[in-house]
Amino acid sequence: MDRFINEIKAELGNNGDFHLQRDYLADAAVMLLGFNTLIDFIKTRVVLHKHAESILLQNQPSGDLWRAIGEVIEGDVRKAISSIYEGKLIIHFENTARFIIMEPVPAMLDRSIDSPTNENVIQGALDSFTEGIDTNIGMVRKLVNSDEIRIDSFTAGRSRKNKLSLLYIDGQADADLVNSIRDHIEKNIQIEACDLQGLAKMLGFPSWSAISKFNTTELPHHAVQNLKKGKVILFVDRLPFALILPNLLWDMFAVENDRNFPLPIMLAIRAIRIIGILITLITPGLYVALVSVNPEVLQIQLALSVAQSREGVPYPALVEIIFMLLILELILEASVRLPKSIGPTITMVGGIILGQAAVEAKLVSNLLIIILAATTIANSTIVGFQNSVSIRLFKYAIVLLAAIFGILGLVAGLVFVGAYLASLNTYGKSYLYLNLKGNESNGG
Amino acid sequence: MADKSLHVMLMYVISHLGLIFFMYPGNVISSTEQGHWLPVLVGVVIHFIFITIYMKGLSYFPKKDIIRIYAGIGKGTAIFFIAPVFLYFSMILLITLRAYAEIITIVFLSNTPLWAIMLLLISISTYIAAKGVETIFRTGLLLSLLFLPIIIFIFFTSFQNVDWRYMVPLDADLGFIIKRTYLESFFAFSGGFLFLGFVQPYFSYDRKYVLWAAAFLIPFFLFSVYIPVLTFGQATSATTFLPYVVAVDAININWLMFDRVTMFFLLSLISFIMLYLALVSWKAIRILSHYLPSIKPVKLLLALSAAVYISCFFIPDWKDVEKLFWWNTFLRFYILIAVPFSIFFFGRRMKRKGKDETI
Repeated sequence: MDRFINEIKAELGNNGDFHLQRDYLADAAVMLLGFNTLIDFIKTRVVLHKHAESILLQNQPSGDLWRAIGEVIEGDVRKAISSIYEGKLIIHFENTARFIIMEPVPAMLDRSIDSPTNENVIQGALDSFTEGIDTNIGMVRKLVNSDEIRIDSFTAGRSRKNKLSLLYIDGQADADLVNSIRDHIEKNIQIEACDLQGLAKMLGFPSWSAISKFNTTELPHHAVQNLKKGKVILFVDRLPFALILPNLLWDMFAVENDRNFPLPIMLAIRAIRIIGILITLITPGLYVALVSVNPEVLQIQLALSVAQSREGVPYPALVEIIFMLLILELILEASVRLPKSIGPTITMVGGIILGQAAVEAKLVSNLLIIILAATTIANSTIVGFQNSVSIRLFKYAIVLLAAIFGILGLVAGLVFVGAYLASLNTYGKSYLYLNLKGNESNGG
Repeated sequence: MADKSLHVMLMYVISHLGLIFFMYPGNVISSTEQGHWLPVLVGVVIHFIFITIYMKGLSYFPKKDIIRIYAGIGKGTAIFFIAPVFLYFSMILLITLRAYAEIITIVFLSNTPLWAIMLLLISISTYIAAKGVETIFRTGLLLSLLFLPIIIFIFFTSFQNVDWRYMVPLDADLGFIIKRTYLESFFAFSGGFLFLGFVQPYFSYDRKYVLWAAAFLIPFFLFSVYIPVLTFGQATSATTFLPYVVAVDAININWLMFDRVTMFFLLSLISFIMLYLALVSWKAIRILSHYLPSIKPVKLLLALSAAVYISCFFIPDWKDVEKLFWWNTFLRFYILIAVPFSIFFFGRRMKRKGKDETI
């Protein structure tokens, strides 16, 4: 055993998957070192030997072989160890300090390209991003097919290095935006950015913003269309989606896949989504306002029927609605956590027991159940899970204001939400812009 | 610099719509017995003349707001013009907040205390004002998308009970001009136009579009007066407190499940008023922070809002609101006349000087 091997063994020997194997390549005795969880050793050896054979058959010196299979390095043990951690194969010449860092056949640790799981596509491309950043970039490259696409890669984090890639189309994307993102990443390169909160911190976004600055998508097609519109994509290794910057209000209503439908149908679908967001925001507040503060707004028959449906309900409308909204949020959260096989059970329990029984037990009114169902369904028409969560949050502010001020509170809440949305911007780009490329009077 | 004609136009329409439908019809109706078109026309014409002069004057000073224009001319000028403007803004904030809170309690929400309503209005407008001018204008865009259709819809349905025969006394005399109520009605004309001089450092706009916006408002001015008159007749509508609101209250749309359409109309207008308050506070803060640059604008804003809110408690009832309203009328005419003319005059003088120098 030579000193080189001993040093590496001292460092890595307590890893169960550390693999050390003796082998002969051409005329040299070598040691192969690497993690067998990251490297497919059998296939790698086959490749190595084939390579060696072909070089030998042409009667070329073995030095050519070493240079052909990887980087030849003398001495540096630290470098060898860090390469092993990165999943490389080290070929060490026995009793020397020389070694080669080789790109091995990796063990299959990434899933293959699959159909999207969180975004449903009707009549459109069904591939989706995976966890591997290189696969994702490859998919985008395949779809863009242009010499103008630019890819900047970064390695961020202090202990655990994570790969980040910034993609944009030169000439389309706003140069200021690209530069600000790049400057922020370079300035905060030591921050661990493996989730969106970390990434937001790295990019200098306020952490108390209720609306995410990133628009996420699993669909390569959608991401590429956004690239062409002048937006910027950020990929983070191990996140199976693209982060589109900046996130705009209109992204709540429009999906690229809508363009696979005829124009009138596309417009109708988008109108439905706009109605959806309004219903989500307004109906719970309107119910509270009409029941508890301003019943005189309703026509008398309607007011009577509302009052009748609430007959026997022992507490005020605000408590009633908050109680049911909370249960709905619990159901939503639970159905995310539960395995797919139990999910439908919860839906049934929620639907039948909570719906029917809660009314019969006079816990809540009939009307409220309808309103809650409408709200929840309408909420789901909004594009993107992140967006729908933000809107869910605003609903509560409006309900509270409506409970105090009636319909005035509802309107004040809408003004407040409108002002909040209007005040958001990403590096100077307003949240209300309709498109980035058009002239500025176009949007917000 | 970004061209934001659309935003300026919308903001212009929104802030005026919020002012037109409440006190203006009552004031005009009680100022004359017949031929209401003449008072409205006179108001509109004066409005057009002054905004044209104002914008012409402002065009001599690109990228400068009126604070810097006055400050650039001299200390005396600044005090002579800016101090009244600031006083005027504070008065507007105070009167608008107090008056609209009162209207809200009268028309609906009779059980909610006045201080709570005022607190809601002022806190939302302060929030918007704190976010800056761009947010104010973008919020204006969103609000007009949400509420302008409602207002226009109800405006058209308000013709439901109209009896055109009430229009007949078409002859008019100019006796209304010196009436107190008529002079007060200029509240609706002079409240909103000053902002044109404040936004110039932030974005530019096409003067043509502002004139279009003002033209768009003419039917609203005219019919806000005529609809109550045509619905109830002059004699009855003169006795009502908010004639247009009462006229809208008389609308009945069967297919709409709501009995009181007024509510939605008023609330849409009140959302515009919140934005208007935000705009006025922002303008007042621009003036304050120009002279107190060491204090953060947000702190000034909070102080101003708090001062306005507290001052509202010193106005015991509607009579005193009206008294304030009347006192403010003198200031309003001073602003309406002095600011556009002075800007125009200084602009001309500067241009002539510039010419002389080049020769």
